[in-house]
Amino acid sequence: MDVQTLTYIIVGATFALYIGIAIWARAGSTKEFYVAGGGVPPVMNGMATAADWMSAASFISLAGIVSFTGYDGSVYLMGWTGGYVLLALCMAPYLRKFGKFTVPDFIGDRYYSQTARTVAVICAIFICFTYIAGQMRGVGVVFSRFLEVEVDTGVYIGMAVVFFYAVLGGMKGITYTQVAQYCVLIFAFMVPAIFISVMMTGHVLPQVGFGAELVDAAGNGTGVYLLDKLDGLSAELGFSQYTEGSKAMVDVFFITGALMFGTAGLPHVIVRFFTVPRVKDARLSAGWALVFIAIMYTTIPALAAFSRVNMIETINGPDSTGVAYESAPDWIKNWEKTGLIAWDDKNNDGKISYANGATNEMTIDRDIMVLATPEIASLPAWVIALVAAGGLAAALSTSAGLLLVISTSVSHDLLKKNLMPDISDKKELMYARIAAALGIVMAGYFGINPPGFVAAVVAIAFGLAAASLFPAIIMGIFSKTINKEGAISGMLVGLLFTAGYIVYFKFVNVGANTPENWLFGISPEGIGMMGMFVNFIVAFAVSKVTGAVPQDVVDMVESIRFPQGAGEAQDH
Amino acid sequence: MVNHLWLKSRFWLDSLSKQQGSHDRQLNEYQHSLTQQFTRSIYDADLMAIDLEMTGLDPINDQIISIGLVPISKGTIPLVRAQHLMISIDGSVGQSAAVHGIVDHQLQDALPIDAAMAWLLRQTQGHILVAHHAPMDMAFIQQSLQNVFGQRVLLPFIDTLMIEKTRYLRQHGQLVEGCVRLGQSRERYHLPVYAGHNALIDAIACAELFLAQVSALGGLKQIKCHELVGLSK
Amino acid sequence: MNASELQPIEQFLQTHAPFDVLCAALIARCAREINIGYYAKASAFVEFDPVNPKLYLVRSGAFEVRDPQGVLVDRVAEGECFGFSTLLSGEKVVNKVAILEDGLVYHIPQALFTELRTQNRQFDTFFTRAFAQRLRNEHKFKAKDLTTTSRITNLMSHTPISIEVNASVQQAAKLMRDHRVSSVLVLQDQQLVGILTDRDLRNRVLAEGLDGLACVDKVMTKQPQTVASNALVFEAMLLMSEHNIHHLPVVDNQQAKGMVTSTDILRSQSSQPLLLIGEIDRQSSIERLIHVSKQIPVLLQNLISADARAEEIGRVLTSVTDALTRRLIVLNQQLLGKAPMAFCWLAFGSQGRQDQVACSDQDNGLLLAHEPDEFAAAYFDKLTHAVCKGLDQCGYIYCPGDIMAQNPQWRLSLQQWQQKFKKWVMSPEPKALMHASIFFDMRAVYGPQTLFDELQDSVMSHTKDNDIFLAGMAGNSLQQTPPLGFFRKFVLERDGSEVKGMDLKHKGSALINDIARVYALSAGIKEVNTAKRIRALMDANIINRKDALNLADAHEFIAHMRLANQGYQATNNLVVSNYLKPQDLSSLLRHQLRDAFKVVHDAQSGLKLKFTRSF
Repeated sequence: MDVQTLTYIIVGATFALYIGIAIWARAGSTKEFYVAGGGVPPVMNGMATAADWMSAASFISLAGIVSFTGYDGSVYLMGWTGGYVLLALCMAPYLRKFGKFTVPDFIGDRYYSQTARTVAVICAIFICFTYIAGQMRGVGVVFSRFLEVEVDTGVYIGMAVVFFYAVLGGMKGITYTQVAQYCVLIFAFMVPAIFISVMMTGHVLPQVGFGAELVDAAGNGTGVYLLDKLDGLSAELGFSQYTEGSKAMVDVFFITGALMFGTAGLPHVIVRFFTVPRVKDARLSAGWALVFIAIMYTTIPALAAFSRVNMIETINGPDSTGVAYESAPDWIKNWEKTGLIAWDDKNNDGKISYANGATNEMTIDRDIMVLATPEIASLPAWVIALVAAGGLAAALSTSAGLLLVISTSVSHDLLKKNLMPDISDKKELMYARIAAALGIVMAGYFGINPPGFVAAVVAIAFGLAAASLFPAIIMGIFSKTINKEGAISGMLVGLLFTAGYIVYFKFVNVGANTPENWLFGISPEGIGMMGMFVNFIVAFAVSKVTGAVPQDVVDMVESIRFPQGAGEAQDH
Repeated sequence: MVNHLWLKSRFWLDSLSKQQGSHDRQLNEYQHSLTQQFTRSIYDADLMAIDLEMTGLDPINDQIISIGLVPISKGTIPLVRAQHLMISIDGSVGQSAAVHGIVDHQLQDALPIDAAMAWLLRQTQGHILVAHHAPMDMAFIQQSLQNVFGQRVLLPFIDTLMIEKTRYLRQHGQLVEGCVRLGQSRERYHLPVYAGHNALIDAIACAELFLAQVSALGGLKQIKCHELVGLSK
Repeated sequence: MNASELQPIEQFLQTHAPFDVLCAALIARCAREINIGYYAKASAFVEFDPVNPKLYLVRSGAFEVRDPQGVLVDRVAEGECFGFSTLLSGEKVVNKVAILEDGLVYHIPQALFTELRTQNRQFDTFFTRAFAQRLRNEHKFKAKDLTTTSRITNLMSHTPISIEVNASVQQAAKLMRDHRVSSVLVLQDQQLVGILTDRDLRNRVLAEGLDGLACVDKVMTKQPQTVASNALVFEAMLLMSEHNIHHLPVVDNQQAKGMVTSTDILRSQSSQPLLLIGEIDRQSSIERLIHVSKQIPVLLQNLISADARAEEIGRVLTSVTDALTRRLIVLNQQLLGKAPMAFCWLAFGSQGRQDQVACSDQDNGLLLAHEPDEFAAAYFDKLTHAVCKGLDQCGYIYCPGDIMAQNPQWRLSLQQWQQKFKKWVMSPEPKALMHASIFFDMRAVYGPQTLFDELQDSVMSHTKDNDIFLAGMAGNSLQQTPPLGFFRKFVLERDGSEVKGMDLKHKGSALINDIARVYALSAGIKEVNTAKRIRALMDANIINRKDALNLADAHEFIAHMRLANQGYQATNNLVVSNYLKPQDLSSLLRHQLRDAFKVVHDAQSGLKLKFTRSF
């Protein structure tokens, strides 16, 4: 069977699985289980959280970025993992104590202001849009390869699938659907990684293979370590050494910070901590989620290195002089159809070659790395199909969660609470669906005209979250002096500063997007952290000159910070 | 009011005096279809309320502008069969526009009088006409028939004004100025006031008044047509 | 013909509901298809065409709709309609329409009516509402109050004890003893000629010194007052008090059919709620109280057959339960001595919500002013066991889930209760949510209101705006959905191969209770009765007015269907359950039930969107 047929079958089967679970959950057969078992077990909830968490960006693009940029790409890994820990440990328990389900509700109540809530809602919507745009691009890449269409067409198809899944279908938001999605995506990610690790280093665990010797076809050690080989190859081709960063220290620091604090401000993940009734279970599931996320995140650098070596070798041939185009590997020809790989025979020798600088003839989109890896390594067709299903699972679970945040924020927070208080339930639901559909359309637009790669687009979303929501939440929990004026102006200034910086370098003046022109050498991906500082400073300054916080709010803040009664009231 | 035997004989005599042209055959059939109605009750008879709008009150010099028709069948007035026809006239609508609200440009799609008369005969064939102040409407119709077909027709009709006059005199002894006009008559039966004033609305108003009158006289199934019919030639 | 030529008619339609909701094109069509009729008072009644039913819209005049028994159902004047019941139900015309004042009536053909209903939802709702309203009205006239409208046939003895006129007094007395009755009918040739009562035997036999062989004929009351079986109870009462008698033979067509006594009438009256409550308050022993409680099922049956509103039935029955509980507490306190501290008797669940139906199980608890010492603990242990036992004997069976005041777990001080509620709110695990749905519908039946208020205030302060808890509550209530499948088909539950029907309680009323509870807790509304909660939420503009009215209607309708069904099951000796089979309903009721479930479904979607941020 060819790859395409297998893709249809495997993707179809995973969808059938999600629908089946949704029907099973609907039929109410979970009810007895749910009540008898005291809710969803923490392990399951951990998997569901991990599925929400690991987006198409993590799945498709992260390994690609690490693969192409080496050490520099690891900022994403560090930032996201750090952010998760920050969220789980420092924020979720307090927000939970506060009894608020969404970030805007917390901000609205803490800053005793409808305006603050509205600003937070707008920030949340803005961030979610950006994030979904990244997902759309990822789904588009998956579809374009496996349906053999242009990447734009792939995005259109992806939009339709996400629309069906998130707006019409009743399968989103069900814990067990997300558990299934996690299983699909982690399986799809690990299988090729393990395959390649065994083939190249003889180790089953890719994490071990990453630091091990390479083996030849017969399985004998060659004495050459993977990373050394990669450094050598990179240097040979004119790239900087793989294990050495090319980004300035300050930029790495800021990007990591932006990602970390942005993660903590992302609205759709926080909710997961509240759907677990017991605080103890919430902690346990956060721990499990970290384990499940770590399984993938620790594999990423290994997979990136493996595929990089494989890619360079298959393009440039064993003698590093290039391979004749006619005899080029299938994966290059397959991916050419999507427009994500292009060959320009500059020296007219009929051979493809890959290098840094003028001699390079290949344009390769980084987002294809994970998807193409099994092909590059000539793995069986079903592995390739499996990866497609995994990419979709990652994109669907995340976009469904985000679309719910957007659409319910629009219909409930903006319309019902602000503009049309007398709206009927039916209308509210209709507006929610329309908002979700609009979200998909706008995200689709950015998916087709992306301001960067999937991971980079997502990084911008995180930057915005770091600059707007994160400081407001942190100050809300830990400060008794920040008042509503301070919080509102902080959020607005932080958001505008960050968005302005990004828009300038990514859209308005793309040519100037070089380290020399950056503020303090901070790239647009990292500016969110700077925005965060700006937010803090503005909030403190404005709060100083405006009135004091009302006493009841001060009491409230005090009560949140005392862990007493955080759901642990003694049982009689 | 006239006896139905007398009515029948009038029609028989009338048909004897006719020559046999194509128009005549049409008019004859028309007349024949009416004679069957006389013995029926108001409930069972085929009746047609009619109202005309004219440029003035003189049948010789003035012209019909529009005709409103609505049948009365089984004691009800089916609006789905109601008709309103505009007739094109020589010259301008003139002063009367103030009364019936029809202005010249509305008459552009109207039928010429000969076609209108043929239409009228087709529509009302087999129906006894009911009108308020019927002799006036009949005079205009007869005059137009004369102009178009060269002869008049013996037309049976029911005049709601006449019915009202008789009833009023019986109750009050003498008439008061305007007391038997359509509007005032309807008021006595607590029928609604209609703001509109066109041939169709007036025909409907007349039909409603007629049903109310007959109910008051003794009931739709009790009163026979010939008890109310008058003749016009 | 151009449309505006029928302007006066169109104008009339445009200014009268429900035609005013139609678009201009439909109005024009409607005007065009109207058949105008005239109805004179002289003909007394409107004649209906059985073949072509129509909608009648009154243009002028006045009319009265009366049911076949001649009971007034509706008065119809200018701009109002009649005839829609037949069009909607498809059943043949049974009501009569009397002409009060001459008038014009617009006839609208059935085909057009049906089309207008399908084209315009509001137009349709107007008539289905009007129809439901009229159904209620019909019953209202029948029901009113039981003494004035109940018929003798419902309470008379149907097997009259009779004796021939030439029998001896002794034979008569023996007959009366054997049948344990206080009177016999005296017959001659199957005709009633007299009545012999206990009083006659005393006054006319013993006091006069006659012996047992005397002929009945000599001592009986001749030509007694009689009453027809379809007479009103009220009429019988009048006769009895006028003639100072206690026995009335029931005679139809000169045939003796039975006997009604003043005791029968008293008994029927005492199942009226107020009398019953009064009686409860007068009882001085627990045994007597248990005896009185036997009338509760009769009361329910009477209320159902009188077709009272379901909400009223719930309130009435609950107030009886409340009275019974209070009396039990007072009587037991007389035995045990004064309570060592202030306490409240709490009612939860259906008693709390005031929507009890048949003798349901008890859900209650005890709220103590402060932590009890050993003596107080023992006292309340005895008191609560006695009261719960009393309730059980009165027909309110022990709670299978053991949510009762006699369980020390639910006999807590104010502080302990506050802790308990706080824990449920802060840690909304499934069991806590299950408890919440029972305990959050709480009401103090006995005890100082201030003590109860203190508890309720603290509970409300925790639930109000606690989105995480509310999300849990909402999620929990969304586990059950109304029994509507794809294409709005009813989903029936099965027990093996046997179709049980639809569970109107758990998949109907309970869902609405849940919805109202979540909203009420979110807004800090203290009402516990579902209808009152919905009204309060509407007034506070938390639920959109239209949604709220729809939900309240659906709540009443489903509860009403459930009660009517249970009444039917009871009178036909079927197992009384919450299950209704849709095939037992007329097409219109099915349609309305489906609408009611749709309202529940929509309200659930709204709940899901607002509280769990999902759809």
